[in-house]
Amino acid sequence: MNAAVTGAWVCLLAPLAGALAITLAGERISRRTAGWISTLTTFVAFAGALDAFIRLWARNHGDREVLSTAYTWLAAGDFEVGFQILVDPLSTVMMLVVSGVGGLIVWYSMGYMAGDDEERRYFAYMSLFVFSMLLLVEAGNFLLLLVGWGLVGLASYLLIGFWHERAEAVAAAKKAFVVNAFGDATFALALVLLVWETGTLEYPSVFERVDGLSSTIVTLVALGLLGGAVAKSAQIPLHTWLPDAMEGPTPVSALIHAATMVTAGVYLLVRTSPVFEAAVEIQHLAAILGAVTLVAAGLIALVQWDIKRVIAYSTMSQIGYMFLAAGIGAYGYAIFHLMTHAFFKALLFMSAGVVIHHLHGEQDIRRMGGLRAVLPRTHVAFGVGTLALVGIPPLAGFWSKDGIIASALATGGVLGWSLYLAALVGALLTGMYALRLYFAVWQGPPRETEDEAHTHASGQSEGPLSMLVPVGVLTCLSTIGGLLVVPGLWKPFEHWVEESAEALVHPTVAQDYATSVVAVALGLVGVWLARRAFEHGRQLVTDPTAWRILERKLYVDELYDAVFYRPAAALAVTLRQDVEGPVVERSLDEIGAGTLHAGGELSRAQSGLLRTYAITVAFAVSVLVVVFVAVR
Amino acid sequence: MLTTALILLPVLGALVVAIVPLPRLATAGLALLVALLEVGLWIVAAARFDWDSGGLQLGTTREWVESVGISYSVGLYGFSLWLVGATVIVSAAAIGYAAWVGRERPRAYFALLLFLTGAVVATFAAQDLIVFYVAFEAMLIPLYVLVGVWGGARRQAATMTFVVYTMVGSLLMLASVVAFGVTQGTFSLLESGTSDNLWIFLGFAIAFAVKAPLFPFHGWLPLAYREAPVEVAAVLSAVVSKTAIYGFLRIGLPKFPEPVADLTPLVLVLAAAGLLYGSILAFRSPDLRGIVAYSSMAQMGLITLGVFAANDLGLDGSVLQAVNHALVSASMFLLVGMVEHRCGTGELDALGGMARGRPVLATVLLVAGMIALAVPGSTTFAGEFLIMTGVYGEGWGYAAVVALAIVLAAMYTLRLISAVLHVQPGRAVRRDALDLRPVEVGLVVPLLLCLLVLSAWPALVSQSSFPGDRASAFVEGSSR
Repeated sequence: MNAAVTGAWVCLLAPLAGALAITLAGERISRRTAGWISTLTTFVAFAGALDAFIRLWARNHGDREVLSTAYTWLAAGDFEVGFQILVDPLSTVMMLVVSGVGGLIVWYSMGYMAGDDEERRYFAYMSLFVFSMLLLVEAGNFLLLLVGWGLVGLASYLLIGFWHERAEAVAAAKKAFVVNAFGDATFALALVLLVWETGTLEYPSVFERVDGLSSTIVTLVALGLLGGAVAKSAQIPLHTWLPDAMEGPTPVSALIHAATMVTAGVYLLVRTSPVFEAAVEIQHLAAILGAVTLVAAGLIALVQWDIKRVIAYSTMSQIGYMFLAAGIGAYGYAIFHLMTHAFFKALLFMSAGVVIHHLHGEQDIRRMGGLRAVLPRTHVAFGVGTLALVGIPPLAGFWSKDGIIASALATGGVLGWSLYLAALVGALLTGMYALRLYFAVWQGPPRETEDEAHTHASGQSEGPLSMLVPVGVLTCLSTIGGLLVVPGLWKPFEHWVEESAEALVHPTVAQDYATSVVAVALGLVGVWLARRAFEHGRQLVTDPTAWRILERKLYVDELYDAVFYRPAAALAVTLRQDVEGPVVERSLDEIGAGTLHAGGELSRAQSGLLRTYAITVAFAVSVLVVVFVAVR
Repeated sequence: MLTTALILLPVLGALVVAIVPLPRLATAGLALLVALLEVGLWIVAAARFDWDSGGLQLGTTREWVESVGISYSVGLYGFSLWLVGATVIVSAAAIGYAAWVGRERPRAYFALLLFLTGAVVATFAAQDLIVFYVAFEAMLIPLYVLVGVWGGARRQAATMTFVVYTMVGSLLMLASVVAFGVTQGTFSLLESGTSDNLWIFLGFAIAFAVKAPLFPFHGWLPLAYREAPVEVAAVLSAVVSKTAIYGFLRIGLPKFPEPVADLTPLVLVLAAAGLLYGSILAFRSPDLRGIVAYSSMAQMGLITLGVFAANDLGLDGSVLQAVNHALVSASMFLLVGMVEHRCGTGELDALGGMARGRPVLATVLLVAGMIALAVPGSTTFAGEFLIMTGVYGEGWGYAAVVALAIVLAAMYTLRLISAVLHVQPGRAVRRDALDLRPVEVGLVVPLLLCLLVLSAWPALVSQSSFPGDRASAFVEGSSR
């Protein structure tokens, strides 16, 4: 077997082994051991990914695509799907991000979840998630991609609903699963079309044949895939599940609902770019949905009170940038922003986790403030994350986000300019909501009671080492992680990814730096607005109507409730009461009663039920036989 | 010979159990032993089976009534062997469950269960229409008694509706069997050719539609699945329903190509309607059994879609899904039984919060539920995907219906899981209600393990069900 592939298989299977080991061991191992098994297997996966990456790097340019099939997973007639992985520049980057950031977050969980009485279950789910996510990014064909796609949804369901005694958590978990099941269904329909039209689901063969397909078919396939991507990445209009998903433990939000799973839609757009390039309207639709989402989510983030929900809407907004990038063919920047976002967003969630931990579960930012003095190290981490998110140079978010905005500029035309404007508005909004959150939590007078402050001052208020080290590592990555692409100087990251997906748009160095100036200026305006509002004790949205509309998330939940859920429930009740009940069951009750009655009569008459029955049957059958044979 | 042994072992076991006056525990033990021996025998059969050829094997043919062309003819194709495998495993679990809860009048009860197993196996093995008819009818007798005597409060009504429906089906089928045999000059499925008689086909089709059940022939289902002892409901929905699928695969499609071609649109529409109808009713069903029963009906619609797509993907997918559903449905019914046993009710309103302190129940129910809702990566997903792809050939609308059913399945299954496990304990959940006992684990987990193995390798079934490489070739010929 090819050496690069071995590392990739190790990367894939180590977390699965971890999940199985924890599940099977049950209470025979301590909670702490379960945590270590989960953490270490994830780091083993990272080592495997690193090995695969280095070996792939050592190969010649143009020879960096290895498909490795373990066995035939599903087969019928001529149709075959292998259990196979694809090791190429794109998948190795994703493997590194997933297992690397994943390992840090699982490690962090050991501190965060300490004392929860179901820690073993938690770590088993986390390992299951890491395995599923790695399967998603390593899959060598569409069906296996869908398998990973569905399994991350399952892990997400399990972890959102981890505290299953809370009704909100269970409802949020179900909602996430059902919305994603809808995405899975459109995804599956796209695959059905591919099987019929190309006869295969392996990426290379499908991409070769995609040009030969009719434009209707390609458009439908792309639309089906986009449906899956939009649902998984919580883009408008299938975004409603993500804010509710914050009911899960905070490390889960960091791993699944910020760094990895929700960005799977972006990965899908880049991975299957030949399909989208053949259906360019749908590719542009992805960009437009991304632009709409990045603005709308940025606006909604302005009115949220829950620290995690602010960050969740920020995630939606940032994924909007990635969709925009993938939709105009700036694949390298889409994946680059995916990676830097994984760093700084995981960092923000994990620092928020320290805050929540410190405040015994308090998540409302109205009851926070002045934590700078109490949690100095976390303050630095959160600050770095915030600035990276806003896109202040030289932090990670600056390089990746400005690359995307410059690509929109380079695209030109009505579409390019509209996207460009939306992205700039997004930059302004990012500055506003990010700093609104920062000021509310860290600055101003402390709002804790004296008692609480006292207890914490004495102890390790910023959490154990297992929480501090991952936060520290991510702080470093959020600071320097963007330097892998410096326009005009070097762009190794972009070139690496674009070996897998050749970009359609290349901004010039001038476009890059001009955009940077505008975007950073707008970001700083946002910061200034947030600061002024904070100093005057005002909110950034002052109009009550606007506030209410944003607070209700633009009424999309209500819309789905009215359009899908209630009609479906009403239909179910109607069918049960008006069709199933009277027509089927009750009429049968009548027959049943009638037969009983007849049976009683017959036995009273001593006429020999069996004989009568036999004669009747024989007669009826003979008549039927004659009829069947005679009537043609 | 091996096929005959597979049929006779449970039947003889039933006789011994019925006749020998053993104490309660020994009776149950003996029945379970027979069921496990049957599983062992199936493993031997599977090991002897030449999976590469997949054609009719391990068979026996003896002249019976030569003058009218009736023979005792049994044997197994790949798909029959898989269906028999699901049958023997589910039966063993059901008998084990009955032994665990301790049913009244054990000798009669276990004898009937074993006899039922033999009859189902015989149906799956029949290569002669008279043998098929006798086996098909022989399944009904133990079912009538099991539901009518050991059922719940409304068992009489349940039995009566079941009897009326199945009797009508049987009557039509008997007429069709005779008419087919008379016109062909033989009852042997191996020797007879095809027929273009629509009425004869309809006789068979209605009998199968009742047995599956397909919409709108399902009137017996809600009561029977609610009132039957839970392990009988498990056998009924898991394997007895699959005799209809076998009937379509072995008789309906190969023997009646023209009527099938004419009626395929109608059957597909009814199957798709049943898939949606069952899913929607399951979504609002007030009790556990209702959810499992209607989801079972929905799944039969799905499998029928695959059969009548009549291409490689649809047919291979339908056999895979038939095996999957047998295992899933039995697991779900047994789990429902275990929950009902603890709480005294299956009403969703009265349940809840059982995950806390009952990790094994929670894990097992979650795994079963996730496979039931066909989470991607599960063998049920594989089957559903094949059927969906196959039926697309008959129209994109059917594929869209299957896709919609994926979402509905998520909705009703998650509702069931949460209603039992999550939030606060319901009024029927006692604080000291136990977690699954080791015996219960031993009954359900083997079924789930089979499903997990299939999930790792669904091609095991989908690749080996029909002779040669092409499933469609099997049903296109008269498969003599």
